Amino acid sequence: MEEKAATKTAHPAPADDQLTASFWEACQHGSLMMTHCRDCGHYFLPPGPCCPRCWSSYIDQHAASGRGQVVTYTVYRHGYHPAIPPPYVVAVIELDEGPRMVSNVTGLDSDAVRTGMRVQLVFEQAGDRKIPRFEPTSGGTTGTSEASTGKKT
Amino acid sequence: MSRGAVIAGVGHSEFGRLPGLTPWQLETTAARAAVADAGLEPGDVDGLLTDPGPAQGILDGITPHFLRLGAQLGLDPDYAGSEILGGAGSVGIVGRAVLAVEAGLCSACLCVYGDSPLSQPAAFGYGRGDDAVFGFFGAVGMHALAARRHAHNYGTRPEQLGEVVLAARAHAALTPHALKRELLSMDDYLASKPVAEPLRALDCCMVSDGAAAVLVLSAERAARLERSTVRVLSQAQAHSLQTMGNGTHFDQLPAARSAPRLFERAGLEPSDVDLALLYDCFSIVLLMQLEDYGFCARGEAGSFVENGGIAPGGRLPVNTSGGLLAECYGGGMMHVIEAVRQLRGEAGERQVADASVALVSGHGLGMNTHTGLLLGADR
Repeated sequence: MEEKAATKTAHPAPADDQLTASFWEACQHGSLMMTHCRDCGHYFLPPGPCCPRCWSSYIDQHAASGRGQVVTYTVYRHGYHPAIPPPYVVAVIELDEGPRMVSNVTGLDSDAVRTGMRVQLVFEQAGDRKIPRFEPTSGGTTGTSEASTGKKT
Repeated sequence: MSRGAVIAGVGHSEFGRLPGLTPWQLETTAARAAVADAGLEPGDVDGLLTDPGPAQGILDGITPHFLRLGAQLGLDPDYAGSEILGGAGSVGIVGRAVLAVEAGLCSACLCVYGDSPLSQPAAFGYGRGDDAVFGFFGAVGMHALAARRHAHNYGTRPEQLGEVVLAARAHAALTPHALKRELLSMDDYLASKPVAEPLRALDCCMVSDGAAAVLVLSAERAARLERSTVRVLSQAQAHSLQTMGNGTHFDQLPAARSAPRLFERAGLEPSDVDLALLYDCFSIVLLMQLEDYGFCARGEAGSFVENGGIAPGGRLPVNTSGGLLAECYGGGMMHVIEAVRQLRGEAGERQVADASVALVSGHGLGMNTHTGLLLGADR
């Protein structure tokens, strides 16, 4: 019973998924790895067995610069998990290399997050996991410039 | 046209919190009602398609839902299957039934949605895959990201989301079987608890136990019926399976791609539509579809719904029985049923005068799937 209660209050772990295991393993070592297509140059997330743009399987892994911007975000005011109390920010981050990912924006008041805000990767410890999150780029703009909707390579 | 397909019967169970009833009891009730509504007998059914709702779809993932339901209905049909398209599934299986009947694979295809999420709550809460790591729980979060994007792009205000909810309640007030029939004021809406900003509790649809069924029949067999039927004018689907990998995922729904094809296949324009039954799991999705289907220009859905634009008597009545926001959670099949009732002129106090063309849409999963039908009165 005690063990079950502890599981319920522990921070949610990544899904046990062959596709994303390497991504989370790299996070434990402080790297955000994107998959890169060596044929067409496309960077993508989450990892997959072939390039979603050209279907080539000639792929490798590159560490992201960690720089990006907020495409859109929401402030959760309702809590869904005891380890993640509200308020907190869930955002779609577009990395400068092109891929988008869901993450959190931390290191500022929830109400100060803006669409288009420039952000920088940080790893935060949650239980035995390192979670890739983003905080505002120091000295960077915090304006509301239009987040890109185009694809980059 | 001899190989055409029509909707000949509709039926549903009660909806609400129904702990004493299994999904199977609800679904067989809906099936019986739809076949009886068409004036047919159980032995006339030769096709079965099902849309198991979220709780059942997960619980019974191994044993196909159609197999379990078909056994209980004593069916050995010529055509069968289940589809998991989330909230797009009910409209999707009706469209698939039309294809099967038109192709001559079967001639009387029963389409059944059913679920008991309130009686099996453990199966309903979810955070998909790695989303839970970031606290990205519930469909509300995904839709909040779209709502924020809409506000950023077009200046959409909370009151404009509120208009969608107020209109749903106004329609439900005229609908005897709707679950939320009390009218709301804008102050009531604005006082609603924020869940995932900018969405409030009242922007989220309800969750219900219940089942609904539609019988798709060949035009040939329908000609022998006394009952008036509803024509299927066209269907279209579009999906956005990449989610984050699609650069426009939060700016428009896949409906932006399927809508022009839907109208073109029917030889119709958005202005020909008398009423729309738009999947409304969250208020924002209804706003986005008004733009995707071309009822207004992109970015103008907020002003379109102001001043009762989609309410009873509005320029485009939308979800005339209250929809997922106020009628019940009927998986999208209740949207099909309401369209049929309106087009048969059987909607009572909420009847849209001279309704001859109705749009019905389904939308599901992480805003990944979209299905649409144009239905026409048989006159």
